[in-house]
Amino acid sequence: MPIKASLHKHFCLLALVCLISACGGGGGSGSTAQPTPAPPTGGSEQPAPEPEPEPIDISYPEAFRFLQQATFGPVSDDITSIQEIGFEAWIDAQKDLPVSTQLPYWRSLPTPEDLDEGHSNRMDAWFQNVITGEDQLRQRLAFALSEIMVVSDQSELVHTPDGLANYYDLLSQHAFGNFRQLMQAVTLSPIMGIYLSMLGNEKPDPENNIRPDENFAREMMQLFTIGLVKLNLDGSAVLDNGGRPIPSYDQQTVEGFAHVFTGWTFAGSTNFHTPSFDYLSPMQAYSAFHDSGQKLLLDGSVLPAGQSAEQDLEQALDIIYQHPNVAPFISHRLIQRLVTANPSGEYVERVAKVFNDDGSGTRGNLFAVVKAILLDGEARAAPTSETSGKLVEPLLRITALWRAYDAKAANGRYLFANPQSRFGQAPMRANTVFNFFTPNFAPAGEISDLSLVSPEMQIISERFSALTNNYLATAIYSQNSALPDIDSETIVIDITTELEFANQPEELISRTIERLLGGNASEALVENVTTMVNLVPEEEAASRVVEAVHAIATSPEFALQR
Amino acid sequence: MNRRQFVKWLSSTTCLGLVGLPTRNSLAQQTPFTDYKCLVSIFMEGGNDAFNLVTPSSNAEYNVYANARQSLALSQADLLPIFPDNPDGADYGIHPLANGLQNLFDSSNLAIIANTGPLIEPVTLSALSEGSVEIPDQLFSHNDQRDQWQSLSGNLPLSSGWAGRIADVLLSETAEQKLALNVSASGGNLFQAGNQTRTFSVGLNGAGKYDALENKANLGKQRRDAWDKYLAAGFDNMHARALAEVHQRSLASKDLINNALSLAPSFNSLFSSSRLGRRLRVVARLIAVKDEFEMHRQIFNVKQEGFDTHDNQNRDQPGLIEDLSHSMEAFNEAMIQIGMEDHVVAFTQSDFGRSLSSNGDGTDHGWGGHHLVMGGPVHGRNIYGTMPILEIGGPDDARGGRMIPTLSVDQYAATLARWFGVKEADLVHIAPHLANFQESNIGFL
Repeated sequence: MPIKASLHKHFCLLALVCLISACGGGGGSGSTAQPTPAPPTGGSEQPAPEPEPEPIDISYPEAFRFLQQATFGPVSDDITSIQEIGFEAWIDAQKDLPVSTQLPYWRSLPTPEDLDEGHSNRMDAWFQNVITGEDQLRQRLAFALSEIMVVSDQSELVHTPDGLANYYDLLSQHAFGNFRQLMQAVTLSPIMGIYLSMLGNEKPDPENNIRPDENFAREMMQLFTIGLVKLNLDGSAVLDNGGRPIPSYDQQTVEGFAHVFTGWTFAGSTNFHTPSFDYLSPMQAYSAFHDSGQKLLLDGSVLPAGQSAEQDLEQALDIIYQHPNVAPFISHRLIQRLVTANPSGEYVERVAKVFNDDGSGTRGNLFAVVKAILLDGEARAAPTSETSGKLVEPLLRITALWRAYDAKAANGRYLFANPQSRFGQAPMRANTVFNFFTPNFAPAGEISDLSLVSPEMQIISERFSALTNNYLATAIYSQNSALPDIDSETIVIDITTELEFANQPEELISRTIERLLGGNASEALVENVTTMVNLVPEEEAASRVVEAVHAIATSPEFALQR
Repeated sequence: MNRRQFVKWLSSTTCLGLVGLPTRNSLAQQTPFTDYKCLVSIFMEGGNDAFNLVTPSSNAEYNVYANARQSLALSQADLLPIFPDNPDGADYGIHPLANGLQNLFDSSNLAIIANTGPLIEPVTLSALSEGSVEIPDQLFSHNDQRDQWQSLSGNLPLSSGWAGRIADVLLSETAEQKLALNVSASGGNLFQAGNQTRTFSVGLNGAGKYDALENKANLGKQRRDAWDKYLAAGFDNMHARALAEVHQRSLASKDLINNALSLAPSFNSLFSSSRLGRRLRVVARLIAVKDEFEMHRQIFNVKQEGFDTHDNQNRDQPGLIEDLSHSMEAFNEAMIQIGMEDHVVAFTQSDFGRSLSSNGDGTDHGWGGHHLVMGGPVHGRNIYGTMPILEIGGPDDARGGRMIPTLSVDQYAATLARWFGVKEADLVHIAPHLANFQESNIGFL
């Protein structure tokens, strides 16, 4: 239902103050430059008659905003690179970078003494890759996929941190690959097998009232690929004559797929009931435990009786993969993870078309999909609406801070065992298969009244908003390069360059806004930072710097991706 | 309900909260409450297998149960007997590790609400197979049935929860309260989401402090002042506004809550250190200091995780039931210690009951399930509603051992809301399908 609401009722519009010149980096003196939208494919605003390659004209704030969408936090090298080669070339260069993996690093560490240490090492591996890895876009996509095809150590999987690391590597390896292959790899992963109980799932035993487990069958369709209701290409629900959404499948369909996914357990098991506990290799079929009957699947499709477990699985996944929902479903979810909580239907449709055909007739090319997401006009045009963009996931606030200030520990580790206790989320640690937040969450009030969503708000409670800011405060005030006697495990932000400007508050503040906000800050934030910096005596240079960093990094503006 | 009926429902009620407009009560000044009543919801996340919580123990009924459940059946001899004041001809027992619940039932502090689940109208097996009855959308999907429980949406486009709507309709009567009517010790949830009202979220030790803004921090006072001024200036994006509002609510209440909690009994020896135990402990402590916030009506939400027992049910469920039993008994004792036992009602919710049939070592998503209501005001030692016949393919089986509920969550919610002080005419705002059921009051309160 359409709802009119005045955004101006409670809040006045604030003018954006852009403190940084578009060339960034240099000895800017507070000159202003409005972020000008530059369509990536060029030139209606440019004088047209120029067959030469488009001149690249990307401002600092534009490059910064792109990197908020494509990485774990903008850094100056990437900004410079984008200004030199453009968005598309930067994306293309990402494709061929070596994949940053977790398992080899995890194995290179001293053998953990207990499971807690095993998981702490897994978190270390994740932070290593997202803070220092070159393959930022791939890692960002893998993180998005880990929040769609969810597994979690809040389950049986607590026993296998290395298995979880390997699952994440699987997502990274397929992130730029084909969606059908990703589906197969996820389905056969023993980690997913344990999490959604396909591993060990047996054919029915009617005498004992035992039927196949429906867990994986249901969530594979509902959460990973199709969703509950039939979708148009633009992501909206197909409606029946009565104006109601049409279910994508029914309980019988779930039962059909539950029968498909029978007969699989750990690879190399002596027999079906004597598991090998090989958490790393794809699962293996044991034909005696596979249901060989006919299976009724989606929209009337049927698998004939007498097929092997492998045949059934291949064909069943093909049927899911070919469903028209997959393109809009996955496109919408990935757009939400990278760019905006509320994409227009047209945006979803443009991306979904690329999912269906990347231009060479190939379906499910994820690299083409992510490129379409990031180069779309809706992602690149300067935001003009108060409803645009998304909140930065809480965990990605700390990665953005650490990347901006090149944070590291003297021992080379990123030892942060329990990010969820500060940010409400940690890699592969959701409470349920529904992830930390659902794609359609709308907080009460303005957003819900507009029938819009803000998924990340689901984990931003009164309590966590305080806990997150407390962690950021510690990471800034107590873990910076100006402090003496920091132990070798502590992750330290490097504020050396900023110290030189401590006696020029305006310059210090504008540099900090440039680094953390891409140069855009509200007047009220500038006033807040200025007040705080000026309260610190000039001779306490480091205190001035961290005061500025703290005021900005804990602000709602730092948590916003416009 | 189809779209036309929905529009009719919308216009027949004055609940315009759906579209963010004021509800009826905020249009007219109501007399503030002077007494105290509190509801505590315990949400068993993942779908509790309620048929192994309350189980038939007389031979004929037990055999039907055991035949359906096979290796998941509890042993008949181990069931803890209960003796309802309203026997239905069969005998029942409680899970062997739930002697706390057995004690509460015996002492009339606990009632069992049989086979309850989300319904739009009464459902029979024949009507279901003919397709002549309306049932909620996407019944067996987890988060959808969980959302059904919490929102009572049926097929309506509701984005609020029934506790949230209770807070909305009582806005005027509770306007003087210094803390939100809805408080969660388990984070955000749909159940408490109102159209006008919001949930306040607390941790196990109370409200979150902002270390850098505390008075004792160097420059803490100045930071707090500058930060307050900054947040008050507003933001030009709705996501930033939503986050800023959470900060503002958090800052506005944290000192009040933490100062009050410093006066509360610790209840340390009563509660276990389980997550549920610790969550119920902070709820009990907040109730103990309710006068510090001038509270007259409160709804608390806690959850207990881990009930989605597709696998290893025999290993995992007993510990959860034991924890639930112990924690509920401890909470009841805490209320007695502070003299609040006649003012507080705790009740369970869950995604769904589970399938009777097994998948080898676990169960799948079902529909109806039994629930528990505890407290001094409860007419305990009774089983309300009708116990289902636990037979696969039997008259209560929707499909594959999923029991068709005989009580709706609308009826359950309305019974609780009425006791809580929601006026008869406003119950439709809380439970939109209530009129489709003969009894709007299950009678346990």
